[in-house]
Amino acid sequence: MNESSVLIIESDPIVRDSLCEWLKSTGFDVTCAESAEGIVKIVEKRDFNIAIMDVRLHGETQLAILREMKAIRPWIKSIIITAYPQEETVLEAKKIGIVDYVVKPIDLDDLQRIIHGTIESIYKDNINAINIESSVESSTEDLIPGIKKSFAISRDNLALMVENLLKETEVVGVKAKQGKYVYDKISGFYELSLDYDVTVSPPTRYLLPERETLLKFRTDNNHRIEPVIKYTPRVIMGVHPYDIKAIELLDEVFMTHNPDPNYIARRENTVIIGVDCLRPSPGSFAPSMGTNWTETGFDLLLTDIGNSYIIKIGTERGAEILAKYAKYRLPTGDEIVRQKKVRGEALSRYKLALDIPRDRIPKILEDSYDEPYWESRSISCLSCGSCVMVCPTCYCFDVRDEIALNLKDGERFRCWDGCMLVDFAKVASGENFRRDKASRFRHRMFRKGKYILERYGKLGCVGCGRCSSACLAGIASPLEAFNSLADNIRLKEAATRVVQPAKQEQDIYIPEMAEILSVRQLTEKEKVFELKLKSGKQLGHYPGQFVSLSIMGVGEAPLSISSSPLRGKNFELAVRSIGDVTSALHALKAGATVGIRGPFGNGFPLKAFEGRDLLLIAGGIGLFPLRSLIQYVTDRRYDYGKVNILYGCRAPAERVFTDELELWKNSKDIDYHETVDRPCEGWTGNVGVITNLIDKVEIDVKKTMVAIVGPPIMYKFVIEKLKKRDVPDAHIYLSLERRMKCGIGKCGHCQINSIYTCQEGPVFSLTQLRSLREAVL
Amino acid sequence: MKPKVAFFDFTGCEGCQLDALNLEAEDLIDLLNGIDIVNFREVMTEKADNYDIAFVEGSITTEGEIERVKKIREQAKIVVALGACACIGGINCLKNHVPMEEALRIVYGKDAHYYNTIPARPADAVIKVDYYVRGCPPATSELVKVIKALLLNKKPDIPNYPVCVECKMAGNICVYEKGQTCLGPVIRAGCNAVCINSGRYCWGCRGLVDEPNIESQKDILTKYGLTAEQVIEKFKIYDTCSEVLK
Repeated sequence: MNESSVLIIESDPIVRDSLCEWLKSTGFDVTCAESAEGIVKIVEKRDFNIAIMDVRLHGETQLAILREMKAIRPWIKSIIITAYPQEETVLEAKKIGIVDYVVKPIDLDDLQRIIHGTIESIYKDNINAINIESSVESSTEDLIPGIKKSFAISRDNLALMVENLLKETEVVGVKAKQGKYVYDKISGFYELSLDYDVTVSPPTRYLLPERETLLKFRTDNNHRIEPVIKYTPRVIMGVHPYDIKAIELLDEVFMTHNPDPNYIARRENTVIIGVDCLRPSPGSFAPSMGTNWTETGFDLLLTDIGNSYIIKIGTERGAEILAKYAKYRLPTGDEIVRQKKVRGEALSRYKLALDIPRDRIPKILEDSYDEPYWESRSISCLSCGSCVMVCPTCYCFDVRDEIALNLKDGERFRCWDGCMLVDFAKVASGENFRRDKASRFRHRMFRKGKYILERYGKLGCVGCGRCSSACLAGIASPLEAFNSLADNIRLKEAATRVVQPAKQEQDIYIPEMAEILSVRQLTEKEKVFELKLKSGKQLGHYPGQFVSLSIMGVGEAPLSISSSPLRGKNFELAVRSIGDVTSALHALKAGATVGIRGPFGNGFPLKAFEGRDLLLIAGGIGLFPLRSLIQYVTDRRYDYGKVNILYGCRAPAERVFTDELELWKNSKDIDYHETVDRPCEGWTGNVGVITNLIDKVEIDVKKTMVAIVGPPIMYKFVIEKLKKRDVPDAHIYLSLERRMKCGIGKCGHCQINSIYTCQEGPVFSLTQLRSLREAVL
Repeated sequence: MKPKVAFFDFTGCEGCQLDALNLEAEDLIDLLNGIDIVNFREVMTEKADNYDIAFVEGSITTEGEIERVKKIREQAKIVVALGACACIGGINCLKNHVPMEEALRIVYGKDAHYYNTIPARPADAVIKVDYYVRGCPPATSELVKVIKALLLNKKPDIPNYPVCVECKMAGNICVYEKGQTCLGPVIRAGCNAVCINSGRYCWGCRGLVDEPNIESQKDILTKYGLTAEQVIEKFKIYDTCSEVLK
């Protein structure tokens, strides 16, 4: 595998010829010269890995030429041969940077050792440099990686490498199709287009397929649930740097917090062989996003420099592949210069660019939240989802159940979903938290330029330009949006890092089985279920948290926990029958088994509540989550000051947990007030909206903490009332409803601006909510 | 107690019923373990007027059919429209663009006076329809999906997003990129973009999504060289045009 080139400068023809022959026989490409004069011209014309030079007595001429040669091609390793090893000559030569010297008469073994040592050191420098992190560069000059990590490979040898890989593994690569390019399985090197501009859909689908089974189950008494982690080991050949950057973002999302076993298995079995994009598509603005080159995220990276490729090693796995499957050699200085040149030329081919530095995008967006731009620009939006479906950094998904016709065997699968689709943020009750086109359009741009960056330290747009060419309405380009909204404030972009998978404790998608111990009807549409985990473990929740309840075959729904964690191993879920899962749950009786994932979310800030007066306000079934806190507080009554509970319902028939309401009413420790909007015959209590009750309560604004759970409309009026009483924002806590699908901060459905309700919520202080404009209060 | 299921046909090619029968033997057995088919003219001679779920196929094109479909509605707990004709009116609605006498004359010639007809319409123009199995013809898998959902008492997962989503999932090159036009951006997905996968374009057989951006779709069709008439023609085939013209 050695094609290293050696230049010999030796005046003695016997020594010269014997050296030349010997080196040729050991596989070197050898060039010989009689004298040092004229060497500069040779070196200018072509490149060498090693130069062996005879240095005579004093040898000023030779040393001067050595210096000149070093100046032209600094990477050439020089070895001198001398019959007169005078101290000052050797010292001077070492200053110039020779590797070693050999004393005449030449001991060939000695010379061989030195030459091999030199070759090895060049190779080692490459390998050692593999894992050294380098930051993303900003100028072309800095972008060019040094010789240290790179080798050269001829096109034929690259073909051979691919053919060798194909014998052992699946290889996916870029093929030409109907005038466009697509990723597809290849059966030979000849099918590859390594000089493509952009593919129709990104390679990320091989890591996050459009549909993927997460679990298989059988809905009999045993409730067998098995994780399904399926992957094909494969090599993806010809990934452009911007897509590599996108994969690095996905790594961050799926491998760090709440590691996703399916993604990780696939990622670890995918080899990425990148290729520099030298012929950018007209819609690309990768240089503006800092994604036209990459130093990380690939196993191997190719640069097409004409008749050969520079191949750069990114990982040990890449080095192994190269060593095992390919014939390669050290690049000549010429080739390095050529790489620099083709990259420079590529950079000049981009037609689009940001008008502003990319670190200003988040601030520009922040300042543009209320701009009429979103409304006017999104008028023609088809809500067709094309932009998100072709985006390499979009990863949101839906999770659904599919059951076989025998109604027993089924699977839970995830499939692509996108925030531009009409029903993305719609919950079972019919409420859609991002109903209009403009808010969806804005949300997508904020994810691309701000939210994802804030969460994962990497921008959500890599500038590939796929969305803008997929958008028939011609409005999808983040570049166009960012440029249109540009202003003058700077923000620092977070640094990039190489992602290591976090430790996986258990499969985050597998529900734990729980038994329904009892079912109690609360109202016509509401029941309370007492449950126990079959493992015997305590749920371990805090008041205000929620679980995802599974009925295999029907699906999964987020439900708040209604009981206090202080009340034994069992827990209660009070549930209104409103969607598929809750209707199915209502049909179940004691003894039935359901799946539970969680508890999820943050819960109420118990520490902040300690020692304070509490004002707990519930509207309608808002009492379901709040009951957990009320029970907790009554069980540790001595930890709190005055406790006021306010409860409002539309009608007396809709009051839930009436026995407990009675207890609170009669308790000396608690002040309890309730009201209904529409009284029925026989109702003797308060009538009117819940805000009237607030007037009945004494509030010490310094001491009082408020927790509110109810419908969105109630929040608006209750907050208004509390603000009139001067309760500070930081003392007011609310629990928000959103479409919580995965519960682990990945699927994207519950996002409110930059935060995920299932992670940072569902309980928020009003101070926090003031900065979340989508929370609309 | 297995639910009793009946299939009824109105005006149409009956291809949807035929397709319903196109199940693998194993699946058919599983299906029949879950439901009792009590009325299905295309496959059985027995008939019963006692059923829980009625599948109605074809569009409504005569006064008699209006009465008949109303009776079915009275009897059935759940009515499911089966196929494009029943769901959105379908191809039969092409005749709505000429006077009815003219339509009769074109089809029946000198015998036209023996027949009567009214403008074609989907089932839900006459009765309340609970669920829709869309497509021309519907994929057997979608019919099965709806039946399973009914048996599990859950809403069938029929997408409310356009064909573009599934077309992109399939990794297709956009029809427009090939210089042709397509109704994918406003037509309800669920077909896995089958026509585009096979090198064609979307004709609109599954009807519009809930909130189609018709104005934008028209602009795009015009931008890609269609005249206003051609745009309407494009929507005409399955009668999405009557929605579009509203």
